Amino acid sequence: MPIPSISLLELSLQVKESLKQSFSQAVWIRAEISELHEKYNDHAYVELIEKDPESDRIIAKAKATCWASTYRLLKPFFESTTGEYLSAGMKVLISCTVEFHEMYGFSLNIRDIDPTYTIGDLAKRKLEILRRLENEGVLSMNKNLAFPLLPQRIAIISSSSAAGYGDFLHQLTHSSNGFVFYTKLFPATMQGDGAQKSIIDALDKVFTCNEIFDVVVIIRGGGATADLHCFNSYELAAHCTQFPLPVLAGIGHLRDETVLDAVAHESLKTPTAVAEYLIEKINETYETLLNAQQQIVVLANRQLQNEKQKLIRILRQLLSGEKEFIYKQTLSLNAVLHQLKRLSEKQTKRNTTTLDGLSQKLQGKFHLYITYKKNTLALLEKEVELLTPQNLLKKGYSLTLKNGKIVRSVSQVKTGDQLITKLHEGEIESVAQ
Amino acid sequence: MSKKTTYSESIKEIENILAQLENDNLDVDTLTEKIQRAAELIKICKEKLLKTDSEIQKILDDMES
Repeated sequence: MPIPSISLLELSLQVKESLKQSFSQAVWIRAEISELHEKYNDHAYVELIEKDPESDRIIAKAKATCWASTYRLLKPFFESTTGEYLSAGMKVLISCTVEFHEMYGFSLNIRDIDPTYTIGDLAKRKLEILRRLENEGVLSMNKNLAFPLLPQRIAIISSSSAAGYGDFLHQLTHSSNGFVFYTKLFPATMQGDGAQKSIIDALDKVFTCNEIFDVVVIIRGGGATADLHCFNSYELAAHCTQFPLPVLAGIGHLRDETVLDAVAHESLKTPTAVAEYLIEKINETYETLLNAQQQIVVLANRQLQNEKQKLIRILRQLLSGEKEFIYKQTLSLNAVLHQLKRLSEKQTKRNTTTLDGLSQKLQGKFHLYITYKKNTLALLEKEVELLTPQNLLKKGYSLTLKNGKIVRSVSQVKTGDQLITKLHEGEIESVAQ
Repeated sequence: MSKKTTYSESIKEIENILAQLENDNLDVDTLTEKIQRAAELIKICKEKLLKTDSEIQKILDDMES
């Protein structure tokens, strides 16, 4: 007995028909993109999955398509709103119709995507990454690094062909106010699937010689529909935040900050802004220096002024001291002089009195003496007078001469000698016998 | 000053001198000495900011990336 049956096509058509009745309208579904290929005139072929939140195991999977006519409108809107490319790993809320094709089977036709769901999911994921970094105690490690006073030696992680790299160098060389910068490019792929690994590899290279750099900048060209996916990865954020040099991010996006922005020492919108920031930092340092210089001049002058004042004060003191000294000295000198004068006057007076007395006394004595001498002389004169031969003769004495010579002894006279005897009055001539 | 002295060390020394100028009554000899030292440090710092150090440039140019 033949078993009742229908053909595969009949079944397929029945399934198709019942699906059409059950899902006559588009349905909003939550799913994760596991694959996305853009092919043939911008049609998008997508694989959607759902994972078990506990085990992360895939528990549902479906093919989906988005025809070019829809995709051309959806894609730019989605990417400009979320700041991310539609790509694998992304959670999406999509409006789709359920399709069944007798040849290709079950698939979904994407009619619309709600970017806010993805944004919410991304934000949630970013938050999870940040929380994880925080739990690991590394979230603020890079931010806590002291920013160098002189961020001059710059390790650049970028793509050599990136417009952002050019912008950065241009800004550094043309608006640097004469400040010196040293740059070294560590090339990396800045978007697409390989970006995260490429950037981490570049960071590792900088790490091996980090002592010759002051900062690391991660830059790339801007663009409204930038693929920021790799900058929201835990691995890159973990590398950056634990990097021993301050990391500056300038990954050119205008929307919510990425995880990289959150952990970087400084996050700036564009590479040009990073360059401006560095120039500004050096400028601050320069101004601090100029300020210090000015302050030193002012303070030194003040100190010198103080010193001068001190000198003047001392000099004044000295001068006034000297005056006082001289005044005092003069006073005491005057006093001494006065006293001297007085003393000398007194002395002179005394002396004069004494002298007067003396001279009087002397005069008196002298007079006596003279008188005495006079008397003595007079006596002597008298005596002498008495002793003259005339006076002796007068007294009766006589003088006998022989040949004109005085005879003092008989022996002088021989018999017959003629002698003359002088008397007071007259002479006697005689002959000895 | 040796080449090893970093910018921040120089700045620290300058700030130190500043503090001394601000607080202490330095005698004129010390004052002169301090000012000369500060001038020297400021000159070195300015040079670091404004003059390319060919040595650094060479290290970076020679480096593989």
